[in-house]
Formats: sequence, structure tokens, C-alpha cells
Amino acid sequence: MSVGANPPCILLADGNEQSREMFGSFFAGRGWSYEVVPDSSAMAGALEKGTYDIIIADVELSGQDAAGVLRDILAKHPSQAIIAVSPNATYEDALKMFRSGATDLLARPVDFSWLERIVQQIVFSRRNDERERATYRFVTSERAEMRFSCADLARLSSISLPLVGRLAESGMLSQTDALKIRLAVQEAVLNGLEHGNLELDSQWKEEIEADGSDRFSSVRRQRLADPRYADRFVYVDLAFSDGCLEITVRDEGMGFLNAHVVQANGRLDSLACSGRGLALMSSAVDEVRFDRNGSVVTLMKRLHERKSTEDYGS
Amino acid sequence: MEFPTKVIGDKAYIRVTSDLDTETAGEALRSAFNEVYEQGKRTVILDLSGAQIINSYGIGKVLMCYKRLKAENGVLMVKPLDGFVKETFELLMLDKLLPIDDSTSQ
Repeated sequence: MSVGANPPCILLADGNEQSREMFGSFFAGRGWSYEVVPDSSAMAGALEKGTYDIIIADVELSGQDAAGVLRDILAKHPSQAIIAVSPNATYEDALKMFRSGATDLLARPVDFSWLERIVQQIVFSRRNDERERATYRFVTSERAEMRFSCADLARLSSISLPLVGRLAESGMLSQTDALKIRLAVQEAVLNGLEHGNLELDSQWKEEIEADGSDRFSSVRRQRLADPRYADRFVYVDLAFSDGCLEITVRDEGMGFLNAHVVQANGRLDSLACSGRGLALMSSAVDEVRFDRNGSVVTLMKRLHERKSTEDYGS
Repeated sequence: MEFPTKVIGDKAYIRVTSDLDTETAGEALRSAFNEVYEQGKRTVILDLSGAQIINSYGIGKVLMCYKRLKAENGVLMVKPLDGFVKETFELLMLDKLLPIDDSTSQ
């Protein structure tokens, strides 16, 4: 794995002078660019002034609790890679650091060949991301198609939509709108799965047993085990073109737009067993269109003007 | 996944510690609710501060708790909401349905 002509740029935060010298000599030997700071306030100062591929931080750095330091850095620089260096690297240490957002954890005495491997992996991945972002500044159209079986969809807690992420990163969607669109797609996919392919009736949610379980959930489980339903597919097509994002979710069922879903007076009934997903979809995009009795749902969102290329960081 | 519960006097508190957008989280809420419901508690307060995201599935589970309590003249309340969860409650008009518990208990 090579990071090419652009060597890693490291910020080392370490309170121990001897350790700083060992790291520095290792970085210099590899031709990496680096800066060294002795405590957390100097580290914060360095981050105000420059950007680094990786921060390597001693967990016993003076000035602040290590987990708090990591969280503070990531609040300001969410994609910052951080390798924590711990004298013990116990399971508890590792758990605490990873929960605080560390990318990796190194134990002392440091295995420098292992450090080199981690740094190369992180930097390789960052360079790829940078190339993707650079390309996306000039993309004017993109399509993506996904297909899921019911059985697989039921196991997924959420669906990743990289195209939506790229639009948000390029400034054509706000991060809030991107989140709402992801949730709207989840709602459309869930409708396609449950009401389309599995042919579940929302009214069954009202039929509650003494233990709090409902008929809807139990029939859902049965049908997910029945190939006549479970082998049906849900299709998600995304297309970005001419300043508009269009997402189509299609299922292979009979459609879910029964009369009780859309309230006759056009108002949402908070207590109704259905219709909330449709309200969430409508709030996320500029237009929602239903075809084939709801078997095809199209979500349309007009996009902001693209950021000028000068607005991007390096 | 389990959501912690706590009983103080005649009130029961359920702390939702994850996003409420999956079957697993929905089941955790149902299980926590059943626990306090079976203890006879009919005033239940949901603390949703640990959830950043809620979807129609999660809302459905919250309303299921609401309906079971209402059927026995009980009440489901929520701790003050913020962010996307608050926005979703307002959009779906649940803020009119579920009173806010702004006491400092729990």
C-alpha cells in the first residue's frame, strides 16, 4: 500500500520528551512531515493553525482527560484520524478511547512497524477520499441503483446512500436535509417492504396482545420466513441531474395506498396507526409522487447551487 | 439492547439510550415499558435525550405505550426534547399529545 508522493502529515502530542524524540526520529526516517507538541493546549493551538492526516496523542497528556480531548477535537474536526497511545492498552482503555472516537490504539512500548502500517492505511484511505471529493466538484450527473431482498432489508438497520453524502459534502444539500432525505428513503423502503412486499395491514398494529406484542409484528415475522413474500425485491434508484435529486423506491407487491392511509381531510391523525411515514417523507423533500397504488414512490428534492471550487479546503 | 427504567413514587422513567429507528430499539422500548406497566405504574416518562433520530417505527412504539396507558387513564409524558426528535414530534403533532415533564427528577 502506498500513499504516493504526498507523505503523511502527523501531529504528535506527547508529554514525555524521550518519547517525542523517538517518534520524531522515526517520522523523519520515513520522510513524513510532522509537528510535535507537549500538551493538550498546544495541540489545540496547532489544530487552529494547520491540518494533519493523523494526530498521535498520548492518553496521559497533561491538561485534560484524554477522552475529553478526543471528543473536543472530533467536535471541531469530525473526520480527523486520531491514534491514541496508552501505557497499558487494557481492554477498558481501548473501549474508552474507541468510544471517544479514536481511530486506533497503540500500546507502549510502541511497535513502530505496526504504527507504520496503521499510518499507511489511514493515509491511503484519506487520499482516496480527497480524490473522490476533488472529482465530485465537477460531476453534474450521477445515477445509482440498488436492489434488496426482503429478508436482507429486514436485517439492515439503515441503508447507506453515498450519493446523498457526496451531495451534502459538495454543499448542494445541507447536512440536515441529507439526514432528512436518508430517513425519508428509509420510510419509503420500509413501506415497500412491509406494506408492499409483505402485504401487511397497518390496522394490525392496533391488535395488541396482553404482552404488548401486536399482530402486525407477528405476521411480519411469519412472512419474512415465507419465500413467497421474502424473495420479493425492493429497488432504490437515485439520480442527480440538472440541480435535482430524484429517488425512486419500487416494490413488487400490490401497493400500500389503502384508503385509511391518506386521511380524507388531508390532515394527519397523530393517533392513526399509519400515515406518519408519508408525513415524514413529505417534510424531507419538495415533492412526493405515488404511482401504481404506492408500489412506486418518487421523492424529488431541488438542490442548492454547488459551492465554488474556492470554497473547498485542500 | 435494554433501556434503563427507574421508579420514583408513582412515576416510572424510561431512558431511551439509542436512536429509535430500528426493530431492536423498538423492542427495547416495549420491554422497558412492559416492566414498569406490570409494576402498576400508570404515569410513565420517556427520556429521549439519548436518541438523535426517530422514525415512523419508533413513533409507532411510543404511541403504543401512549394508548396502553390512556386505556387505563394513565399518562405518557416526555422529558424536554431537542433537535431532530423535537422537530419530528412537532411535525407529527405529538407535542400536542404528550405533555412535557420538565421536573428535575430522574
